[in-house]
Amino acid sequence: MFGLALRSLRHRTGAFAASFLAMFLGSAIIMAFASMLDTAQASGATGTARETLSIMANVVGGWGLLLSVFAVASTLTLAVRQRAQEIALLKSVGATPAQLRRMITGEAAGLAVLAALLGIVPAMLLGRGLLGLLHGTDQVPSDIGYSFGPVALSMGIGITLVSAVAAAMITARRTTRVRVAESMADAAVGDGRMSRKRIVFAVLFLVAAGWEALITVTVMDGKGSDAMATSGQADILAAIGLALLSPVIMRGATAVAAGPLRALGSAGELAAATMRRRTSALASAVTPVILFVGTAVGTLFLQATENAAMDDAGLAKTAEQKSIETLNFVVIGMVVLFTAIMLVNTLIAAIAHRRREFGQTRLAGATPGQVLAAVGLESAVLTVTGVLCGTVASVFTIVPFGLARRDSATPDGSVWTYVAVVALAAVLTGVTAHGAARRAVRVPAVEAALR
Amino acid sequence: MFGRKGPDPAGQATGEALRLEGVRKVYGTDGNRVVALDGVSLSLPAGSFTAVMGPSGSGKSTLLQCAAGLDSPTEGRVLVDGAELTGENETELTKFRRQRIGFVFQQFNLLPTLNVMQNVVLPLKLAGRKVDRELAREVLGRVGLAERLGHLPAELSGGQQQRVAIARALVTRPHVLFADEPTGALDTRSARDVLGLLQESVHMSGQTVVMVTHDPVAASFANAVLYLADGRIVGHQSAPTAEAVAERMTHLAEEVERQRTMAEA
Ligand SMILES: Nc1ncnc2c1ncn2[C@@H]1O[C@H](COP(=O)(O)OP(=O)(O)OP(=O)(O)O)[C@@H](O)[C@H]1O
Ligand SMILES: [Mg+2]
Repeated sequence: MFGLALRSLRHRTGAFAASFLAMFLGSAIIMAFASMLDTAQASGATGTARETLSIMANVVGGWGLLLSVFAVASTLTLAVRQRAQEIALLKSVGATPAQLRRMITGEAAGLAVLAALLGIVPAMLLGRGLLGLLHGTDQVPSDIGYSFGPVALSMGIGITLVSAVAAAMITARRTTRVRVAESMADAAVGDGRMSRKRIVFAVLFLVAAGWEALITVTVMDGKGSDAMATSGQADILAAIGLALLSPVIMRGATAVAAGPLRALGSAGELAAATMRRRTSALASAVTPVILFVGTAVGTLFLQATENAAMDDAGLAKTAEQKSIETLNFVVIGMVVLFTAIMLVNTLIAAIAHRRREFGQTRLAGATPGQVLAAVGLESAVLTVTGVLCGTVASVFTIVPFGLARRDSATPDGSVWTYVAVVALAAVLTGVTAHGAARRAVRVPAVEAALR
Repeated sequence: MFGRKGPDPAGQATGEALRLEGVRKVYGTDGNRVVALDGVSLSLPAGSFTAVMGPSGSGKSTLLQCAAGLDSPTEGRVLVDGAELTGENETELTKFRRQRIGFVFQQFNLLPTLNVMQNVVLPLKLAGRKVDRELAREVLGRVGLAERLGHLPAELSGGQQQRVAIARALVTRPHVLFADEPTGALDTRSARDVLGLLQESVHMSGQTVVMVTHDPVAASFANAVLYLADGRIVGHQSAPTAEAVAERMTHLAEEVERQRTMAEA
């Protein structure tokens, strides 16, 4: 089965490219932050310097870890699901579910090890830059030299491998449990019903976000910049909570959008009719948009409010505050990177999967322009829903922090920051969907529909 | 030219519904060229039901796709109801097809996300035409699916799906309905239902039907059979019976085999 796994990998570089990229970037980021622990160990740093290094590794590195595990799981799930047909075919010629699971997890493990090994050199450069930043802001004395060692290596390879294999095992179990006839039938239609487990987790995340917000306005009120520690994560928690609820949210959104879409003519009608049955696929596409907008808007306005509060007080930033600002931007950078990978990957996979459907629509009398217009309208609904949910998530951070720091519920900062984040989300969604759809309609209709 | 007068029961106009002039279709480039159609000319009157038969790879599907504007011929002209099928791009060809042509495939090709009613009215909506739900309901009633309007294709049997596909092709009232092995994926009973429907649309509404099939029994529902071999029309048969068609097909296979061995020698 391992031989088959390798051969399958070689022929499907496209499907696995996004997983590989997520694993590679994820392992590089994890190793870069974990190497701060190696640095503390090797240099024998003590006191605040040691503390700073371990906070850096644990807090920021922790977010990087969460994000990369999420990205690896989401891209891998898609890569496996895209192969439902191939898996059904293998099953129909006699492969047992256990063999198939071994094949899928084998592929994921091989990919993870390769990605983590390739991530070592970039991780070293990144870690060196990070230490340079800490040197520059005098948080760590400059005689502490950089070292990359066993902690970074074991965490980087270990976490990447474990998250990849775990994600592959869960998806493989789900994919291989489906009976042969069902999976051959290619039921691309999901109605977006949610499992109880999913609802429980969604509620837990939202409650946690609400709790952090509450702590911020009560306990942390008037504690200055320290309020960042509790409010800073509320947006991510809320965004994950809303993302978990996305099937329900998308069902609502498509119902609301149906009226206006229908008024837009035939392409709108087509979009409205197909979206109603595709809420599962839409939900997985809206997830990265929610995460992206929620964390980016939340963190950027958090920082803007903090800056305004310092200006009000006539204070210059301390070295530590400066490096917190830098780290906030590093976190945003990571969020943008991983959510962008997830978004682009999800959209491309979803649209490539619909090539046949587009072919059939064209045979029923749709021009390529109409198909592209329908896809465009779908991405518009997707973007608007994602931006709205993301904005709601960001409020969990912005408003409590504003109240605690400046006694004002409205954040500081420019509207244009918000516009820029929304525009980036819209452009990423629109351009990717349009590009993928164009590629799909370039295949002659008969060929797309029949083969 | 293989023309034949249709049954013309309701005094339908008996003009020419489809005309092909010297149609050639070549696939591939210099290295591996396949001549799928080698100068096909034919003329079919309105209100006729024609079966197209021939060995596998003889060009039947290619003929249908070129005639239906799903593909452009390399050479030659196609006229549907007197209008030449031209179009630089897919958009223009699509607009031409919408007004004149219906198509039914072996694999049904219903949209999985739309229910029966939505699938049937889709071509009208895409063409920006008024959606006559009464007409759609009547057509679906005629194919025996009046009770299944809200069902998704996945909830229907193969035969039922094909009947939806036929209803969808008929609802635009096309001049010519093309069907490529419409009964290829169906059992005998469902196949007979589908063939009956095609026949009925010819008799009742003067529809013109062109159907590719491998099955002599299916061909016997038509009022003429065209035989295709190696991209050329090699025979014509009126008022076919299943036995006569089967016999002719056997001869045709032998004939093609003999010509190929001669060509190789
Ligand atoms: N897209 C294509 N590219 C290259 N060659 C093609 C293409 N489509 C068809 N052909 C070739 O053209 C010839 C005619 O094909 P066609 O599909 O029309 O045959 P057919 O009579 O419908 O066969 P069957 O009964 O098996 O469906 C065949 O030799 C086939 O290999
Ligand atoms: Mg064929």
